[in-house]
Amino acid sequence: MSMCVARMVLVSLLLTGIVTSSGCGYNDLQGLDEDTKAAWSEVINQYQRRADLIPNLVNTVKGYAAHEKETLESVVEARAKATSVQITPELLKDEAAFKKFQEAQQGLSGALGRLLALAEQYPNLKADQGFRDLQSQLEGTENRIAVARKRYIEKVAEFNKMVRYFPTNLTAKFLLHLDEKANFTVADEKAVAKPPEVKF
Amino acid sequence: MRLCGRVWRAVVAGWFWLVLVSGLPAWALDVPSLSGPVVDVAHVLPPDTVEQLSQEIRAHEAKTSNQVVVLILPSLEGETLFDFSHRVATTWKLGRKGTDNGVLLLVALKDRKVRLEVGYGLEGALTDARSAQIIRNEIVPRFRSGEFAVGVTAGVRAVLSTIEGTYQASERPTATSTDGETVGNVLLAVIVGVFIGLLFSRAHRVLGPAVGGGVSFVVAPWLVPALIAGGTSIVLVSLLGGRGRSAGSRQWRRTSGFEETWFSTQHGGWGTGGLGGAFGGGDSFSGGGGDFGGGGASGDW
Repeated sequence: MSMCVARMVLVSLLLTGIVTSSGCGYNDLQGLDEDTKAAWSEVINQYQRRADLIPNLVNTVKGYAAHEKETLESVVEARAKATSVQITPELLKDEAAFKKFQEAQQGLSGALGRLLALAEQYPNLKADQGFRDLQSQLEGTENRIAVARKRYIEKVAEFNKMVRYFPTNLTAKFLLHLDEKANFTVADEKAVAKPPEVKF
Repeated sequence: MRLCGRVWRAVVAGWFWLVLVSGLPAWALDVPSLSGPVVDVAHVLPPDTVEQLSQEIRAHEAKTSNQVVVLILPSLEGETLFDFSHRVATTWKLGRKGTDNGVLLLVALKDRKVRLEVGYGLEGALTDARSAQIIRNEIVPRFRSGEFAVGVTAGVRAVLSTIEGTYQASERPTATSTDGETVGNVLLAVIVGVFIGLLFSRAHRVLGPAVGGGVSFVVAPWLVPALIAGGTSIVLVSLLGGRGRSAGSRQWRRTSGFEETWFSTQHGGWGTGGLGGAFGGGDSFSGGGGDFGGGGASGDW
């Protein structure tokens, strides 16, 4: 009789173990790991799209304002710098590399902003159909970058929470060897800078 | 005395305000409800224009499944145009899940701003450049001369003709919801719990249901499904285990007990599944699960 009970306990433990392995976060962690990688790829994708638009934009502006060498060159330079810093999804836990990437992209944003501000002074350039199309594409791409970044931020927050919470942190640490992933700092984030309005 | 009353009233009002504000999300402007293809919160369009546009949009949707919606607001109330427009589009989930073929035309009167928000699936046809052209050539000139109805109509028609032929309407894809997943997990938890519980109830009358319920509780995801699963298992194991022991051939009883459990849980599963599906249908206007990645263009007048 006691043998029988012992066997039953063993079988039940085994069965429960198999089924609850989904409760220790193994699958969720794996899934979220993939999700963050996909979200990051989308961020990279949109930054690349912006970089691809720049040569055309620079050429168009050159046609009307070739003498604005300094601004034009700074955009080309910033673009070269931004495309040289690449982060694969595997490198996302590297805070320093991530910071470098963010700085390079911000440098490009700044240079682009100056170029577009300069364009305001050239009515012929502003009226150019090609320039207008490029401008709207650039604006759309900035919006897409904002959306991709927001989604990445959300996914990483979810992932990092699971990496730190008990008991999923054990799975993450000992079984899957997953670390927290780097996230965008919100300090200079335009979108987050605006505090919620409270009117009385 | 009067002063005291005023102070009290202020304190109470402040309290209510705090409770109210803390319950609300931090947004300054709420997303209006999606009442139809044309949501004219500002009431600037004449009723026949709304009717006409709605008909054209619905006909287009019936043919192509593309979902175009117009939203006219009195003011953005300090929100950024893109942020709000993207929030509205993703809240309403315009377009279908998978094809993401929704378009939102947002007009903010006081801010004198207009935006076309384009779903992922239509970015190829209604590109940023094309969206900007529609805003610049069709909408803005008419808005400048105060003809809102004409401008909105022209804008919508330009959008519809641009995205004509991108998708074909076929039957709506059935949405696989996470509800179904939870029901599946609870079923699994009950089955495992009852199985183990029945094993134990051969050894002890109380131990069986307790273990079965416990196992179901542990296996099921989240608290409420776990409670339901645990409770169900306790009841099932008590019933089946008790009957199995009380009468003749144990082997036969157990088998029959199992079959009964299996079918009853199966049946329960179908029941809830059917109930969930029933909410999906209906004639009202609603989004289909489309997603937006920030494509489109903005303009002002």
